[in-house]
Amino acid sequence: MRRSVWILFVLAVSCLPARAISIAEVRKSLVHITTTAQDPNYRVPWNPGPINSGAGTGFILSGQRILTNAHVVSNARFISVERENDPKHYIAKVRHIGHDCDLAVLEVSDPQFFEGTAALSLTNQIPQIESSVSVYGYPIGGNRLSVTTGVVSRIAFQQYSHSMADSHLAIQTNAAINPGNSGGPVLQEGKVIGVAFQGFSGDVAQNVGYMIPVSVIQRFLKDIEDGHYDRYMDLSITTFPLLNPAQRKALGLENDGRGVLVGSVISGGACDGVLKPGDVILSLDGHPVQSDGFVELDGERVEMPEIVERKFKGDSVAVHILRAKDPKDVTIRFNAAWPFQIQASHYDIRPRYLLFGGLLFQPVSRDFLQGNPIDSLRVRFLYHFYISDEVFKDRPDLIVLSDVLPDPVNTYLGGFRGAIVDTINGEKIKTLDAMAAALAKPADQYVIKMMGEGRPIVMERAAVEAARERIQARYNVRNTQNLSE
Amino acid sequence: MPPRLAFLGALLLSALLAGPAPLFAKAAEPASHAAAPAPLQALKAASVVRVNATSQPYDFLRPWSKRPPFQRRGVGAVLPGGRVLITAEQVANATYLELEKPDSGEKSPATLETVDYECNLALLKPADPSFLAPFKPLALNEAAPGDTLAIWQLEANGTVLNTRALLTTAEVGDYPIGDIDLLLYRLTASLQPREGGLTFPVIKAGGLAGMLLRFDARSQTADAIPAPVIRHFLQAADAKSGYVGFPHAGIHTASLRDPQLRRYAGLTNGTGGLYIRYVHPGGPADKAGIQKGDVLLAIGKNAIDQDGNYADPHYGKISVQHLLSCASFDGTQVLFKIARQGKEISLPVVLRYQDPSQSLIEPYTIDRAPRYYILGGLVFQELSRQFLKEWGSEWTRKAPERFLYYDAHQEELFQNDPRSRIVILSNVLPSPCTVGYEELNCLVVTQINGVALKSLADIEAALAKPLDGFHHITFQGHPGEIVIDAAQATALEPALLRNYNLPSLKRL
Repeated sequence: MRRSVWILFVLAVSCLPARAISIAEVRKSLVHITTTAQDPNYRVPWNPGPINSGAGTGFILSGQRILTNAHVVSNARFISVERENDPKHYIAKVRHIGHDCDLAVLEVSDPQFFEGTAALSLTNQIPQIESSVSVYGYPIGGNRLSVTTGVVSRIAFQQYSHSMADSHLAIQTNAAINPGNSGGPVLQEGKVIGVAFQGFSGDVAQNVGYMIPVSVIQRFLKDIEDGHYDRYMDLSITTFPLLNPAQRKALGLENDGRGVLVGSVISGGACDGVLKPGDVILSLDGHPVQSDGFVELDGERVEMPEIVERKFKGDSVAVHILRAKDPKDVTIRFNAAWPFQIQASHYDIRPRYLLFGGLLFQPVSRDFLQGNPIDSLRVRFLYHFYISDEVFKDRPDLIVLSDVLPDPVNTYLGGFRGAIVDTINGEKIKTLDAMAAALAKPADQYVIKMMGEGRPIVMERAAVEAARERIQARYNVRNTQNLSE
Repeated sequence: MPPRLAFLGALLLSALLAGPAPLFAKAAEPASHAAAPAPLQALKAASVVRVNATSQPYDFLRPWSKRPPFQRRGVGAVLPGGRVLITAEQVANATYLELEKPDSGEKSPATLETVDYECNLALLKPADPSFLAPFKPLALNEAAPGDTLAIWQLEANGTVLNTRALLTTAEVGDYPIGDIDLLLYRLTASLQPREGGLTFPVIKAGGLAGMLLRFDARSQTADAIPAPVIRHFLQAADAKSGYVGFPHAGIHTASLRDPQLRRYAGLTNGTGGLYIRYVHPGGPADKAGIQKGDVLLAIGKNAIDQDGNYADPHYGKISVQHLLSCASFDGTQVLFKIARQGKEISLPVVLRYQDPSQSLIEPYTIDRAPRYYILGGLVFQELSRQFLKEWGSEWTRKAPERFLYYDAHQEELFQNDPRSRIVILSNVLPSPCTVGYEELNCLVVTQINGVALKSLADIEAALAKPLDGFHHITFQGHPGEIVIDAAQATALEPALLRNYNLPSLKRL
């Protein structure tokens, strides 16, 4: 069953009798954000994409920073911000953006903007279930403040639908959160407990809105302190709960409800060479790991990855494991965020592509697949199993022949749409850069082998060169390649 | 010849034919059909019988049980020797077969004499040898494009409903069950819905030109299994050494229209030739020394054009596949004239039947129970396309993607794999043994107790060697390995059988 999670452009400010600050105070920190964005065109990658505009909410933090959701300002070409009680529009810029946690910090160069504003402060507590919250923002396109209230319904890991590839803690509330609320503060007793960011539109669910908790916000703000966002760290393993008594006994575990099995270790990930499939993780940084994969943290029972969620580039985690019944202590160091991100949505980048003899080659990614009607089992399989089957080892870029711009040079090649590049003149092609280099090497003909048992594509250099300008002119292609994002 | 993953979406006649047919007052030969080629005598249904089949396929998601039985009706052609020809689909997984005389409704149980699901033909014999005595057997009569044929359905009163059909095209195309491509007659016909199921004889001048394979009511087009395929099937069925299916050369080919590919393949002149893009390892072409990249110029005296067609004396331009499969038999030697980087050589190739049940992932499993083994509630099976088809009409999208990928690309992915079958954990019947494993399903099992499983047949030997009283089940990838208490699993067997009402915990 797939749940559909939608992103909100919403902000809410609530005034409850018990609140610690007045609505007038909250108004001083709220920001209405209007973004003109240009989304890339993955179908015709040399074309500028469509321009659209959207609105969301933000709020002022100390240091003249405006916090909002990444999705409010993604792919932005122009951002303007307004305050309550000030008719002027100010130009804002993205100073930092974290697409994996859907947060962004904006700056406004005009100092007049911050006159008379007040910064909101973040709580440093996880809110209690059933405690009441107020959501402030500018939902459904309005530019007058809207407030809704509700309670904290649940705190759990949740997929962040901005990147579609990341899960972090999220707080669920029954306060109405609607498009436009995105980026707005959720307050409890005058302090920010979260940033409203997405809702849930299932067939059966009602009154389900989500906010990004302070733990995620604090992590983002800390990560960017050095001026650069390094993203979340990741163990890059799969784990399996150890609930089966026989399995526990065979692994030499007590019947104490502790430990999860390492099911697989992804090559090149943080645990590669440190953990092995079959190891049992007993604790992380001294926190006992329960056999269903939960740990206790700050008095809350949370999913084990939450410990890693709080790590930064360069940090490490101490892991107590049982390997072949022997207890061992190992350290996992986080040197970099996981690099192979084709399954995530990306923003603020230009599509990479290469056009050769009218054949359009593009790396497969979530964004690419959303823009291209490619229905190939091979592409689907390699995309979905890109990490678990370690497809990235051989093919960091999964290069697909996405389209054929008909021309005499390629007139018999239409059937190759959707095929994946394997070799060029015998050389294994791992990246789009390598492909461009292989096609730039002098040769009379380029023999492009696609994955599978099909016949090769043969492109004679003279014919490709003769066709280049003709194809560019006929199809209005500005550049025949873009190799960098 | 890539594996055909989907049945054609043609509307089968059975869909139109729910319940008994309305009574028609008149026999099936209105004046407007006077030009139909069949003689009047045949229209009294003297050469066709109803075939009633009760079928009960296995349920591959619950391999210990069968699906509910269902009935199919078709019209079979009476052939010399007291036999009835019908499509194999009609009798697939049959538990009971009977023949019925159209006039009298008299019935006789029948037995399946020969069946070949690849060419989709089956021969039935009545239990009572005299049952077919009053019938006039049909002889084969090959048709040609342009011929007007007759499709014989049966009216409720036992007379023939004779519909004219124009044979527009004879070409090699895909058949519904296996991965083989064989000659087809493409017909334009406007069939009326009648009781009588899926299969009808196609007649030319009183002789049997083919058997209807599929009909699309929207486009009013039909495909028929043509006389040459039927003839091949009957000859093979009569072989003293027993039936052997249609042969293959073991090659996959590509068109050579592209001039850049022609020059790459070393062709400097001419327009013909077919590019050999894949040679099945150990197959007939491989044994004969044919290589990937060779260009097939001719088979014997039949020159092959750039699309893989030769000039058939009867059908005109049709695929060379016809020469290699239908026009030859297992063991037939043909001469491949090939060009290898500009040099012409001739290599004799002995064509061979390739048993689809020898594939790592069987393309179909019919009339045969799936193997399974239940250990403490873990259900182990062998991956087959029949298993994937349990995901319904959209199985090519809905079945587990890894398995679909393995099936579609098995030649490429498993070339030197030592396995004869891929053993999978299909699902779990929760029991005290399987606590914590309930959600595991559709995983590839590589080893049990350290013993590599080449097929499910190896499972008992592997389970004979538990390690310290535990069975260790190793998967390909996550979750790595799970453990079952050997003694507990044995002790649980009666409870599992009782609890889930299973007839047996294994079928190997």
